[in-house]
Amino acid sequence: MSEKVKILIVEDEAEMREAIKLRLEANQFEVITAADGSEGLSKARTEKPNLIILDIMLPKLDGFRLCRMLKFDENYKNIPVIILTAKTQKTDINRGKEMGAEAYITKPFKSEELLAEINELLAKK
Amino acid sequence: MNKDLYAQKFAELKKEEDQLLINDIKEKSYWGIWIRYLIVVLGFLMFGFSFLRDMPLSLWLLLFVLFYNIMAHLLLWFKQKPGLRQITMTSVVFLAFDTLAITFLIYITGWVESPYWFLYLVLIVVSGFGMFSYYSLSVFIIALFSAVFYLVLLALAFLQIIPIYGASFNLSPRELLLVINNKAVFTTVSIFLFAATIYYFAKLLSQHRQELSQKNMELLVTLEKMKDVDRLKDDFVSTSSHELRTPLSIIRENISLIIDGVLGKVNETQQKLLVSSQSNVDRLARILDNLLDISRIESRLLTLNMQETNLVELVDKVVAMFKGRTVEKEIAVKLDCPEPIVIWCDPEQMLRVYINLIDNAIKYTERGGEIIIGVGYSDDKVVSFVQDNGVGLGAEDLSKIFERFVRIHPEDEASPKGTGLGLSICKGIIEMHGGNIWAESQKGVGAKFIFVLPRRRKHGERKS
Repeated sequence: MSEKVKILIVEDEAEMREAIKLRLEANQFEVITAADGSEGLSKARTEKPNLIILDIMLPKLDGFRLCRMLKFDENYKNIPVIILTAKTQKTDINRGKEMGAEAYITKPFKSEELLAEINELLAKK
Repeated sequence: MNKDLYAQKFAELKKEEDQLLINDIKEKSYWGIWIRYLIVVLGFLMFGFSFLRDMPLSLWLLLFVLFYNIMAHLLLWFKQKPGLRQITMTSVVFLAFDTLAITFLIYITGWVESPYWFLYLVLIVVSGFGMFSYYSLSVFIIALFSAVFYLVLLALAFLQIIPIYGASFNLSPRELLLVINNKAVFTTVSIFLFAATIYYFAKLLSQHRQELSQKNMELLVTLEKMKDVDRLKDDFVSTSSHELRTPLSIIRENISLIIDGVLGKVNETQQKLLVSSQSNVDRLARILDNLLDISRIESRLLTLNMQETNLVELVDKVVAMFKGRTVEKEIAVKLDCPEPIVIWCDPEQMLRVYINLIDNAIKYTERGGEIIIGVGYSDDKVVSFVQDNGVGLGAEDLSKIFERFVRIHPEDEASPKGTGLGLSICKGIIEMHGGNIWAESQKGVGAKFIFVLPRRRKHGERKS
């Protein structure tokens, strides 16, 4: 039985997806990925990850709406969401908060920060 | 917005202007109507006092004024949305009726000897300044009506087509004719001279008003254009920012994975090069931040996110950020922060200030040099400085360096370093906080960048 913590990465840039996946797997996390918003939504529902790392600029369904949809759903609102995006404007950060994301990290990011945030949010649960 | 839309905007503004004029004329017309009612009422009161009982014609005059005034009132009431031309024409028509009424009055008060011909002049002033500063020629129309009605009256009375009232003339027809000629000429010339004067001033007023209104419309359209450009620029900045950051983040993360040994062992030289690459990616990201924010900071449009911040913690953060470079360049970093300094400021922006100042200090200090960073209280202010013992600056450059895109050319380098934005941004941020920043330096000895901020704990509250 796998005791590993499952993390879902929703990111449309393949190279970015790969890099984060490598990092997380090296830190003993089980990783599932999605390349667009709607795939992200369905994988979140079927796989029930312990945490979601979410990009904003996604095809089909953007990150903000995806986040809000998950947060409004009784079954999934308790999954912590970290928004990881190149959008750095204050308006975007505020919107992220409004949509219910637990954290907002801008790219380029320091992997130590991401890992620290992940561990902090998982510990809170 | 393209040219058509701007032309459309102009047309819209012109329509608004016209509507304002129409409302103005309407308002003044109502004034005229109420004044006429008042005159009629006063007239009836006087009639009641038997003043004019012997002059039944005065009753007819009052009724006549009442009659056309009611017509004017009804017309104004029912025409809900008059055009500018319509309402102007209507007003002229009713002023012409007023001219007729005045002529009638002159007739029953002694025609040639009547003192009431000055009322023509009053009407000319009303038409000139009152309703028709937009249509100054109306002054001459009223003058013309006045003169014509007056002359017709004189002729009719002289030719005894209508009976003479209020005056007895013991003059022979020839003498009478002379008097009439004199009066006619005098009155007509006075009316037109007066009209010309009023026209001149009314035209002046009207021209000024038109010029102002035109300038105003042009300004408003320009404002729209500028808003559009601003929106485009913000859009561009936001998109570019995202487009540039995405590949940077991939590069950084890939390098980071290798450095951290996730993909296998890395030897010392490889480590060194990779760390250097990583710090340069960070450097690119910082330049990006500066570039994209510079216009907003310069125009002081950036909104500050004020909170209680410990400046010493910020300094620690930045020093940690630059550890790689200071170690690599063997620069000693000393802190002169005796106590925690908590003030009301925007931590993100103050971080930028320290990043830029310390980045510069490291850049311009030679291998084995020293940087000192201090934060402290001083009376009602907080003073902070970043000092280095590097190449320094000449006195002539000390204020110039805070200008946008100004870079100093170090003597032993081929070209100046950096984008020239860092200090300009620092200045903008410090000044937006209500503080001041300046530099002290001696060439070859070093440089000290100092800034002060008002010592505030909470919004508005100042510590003494």
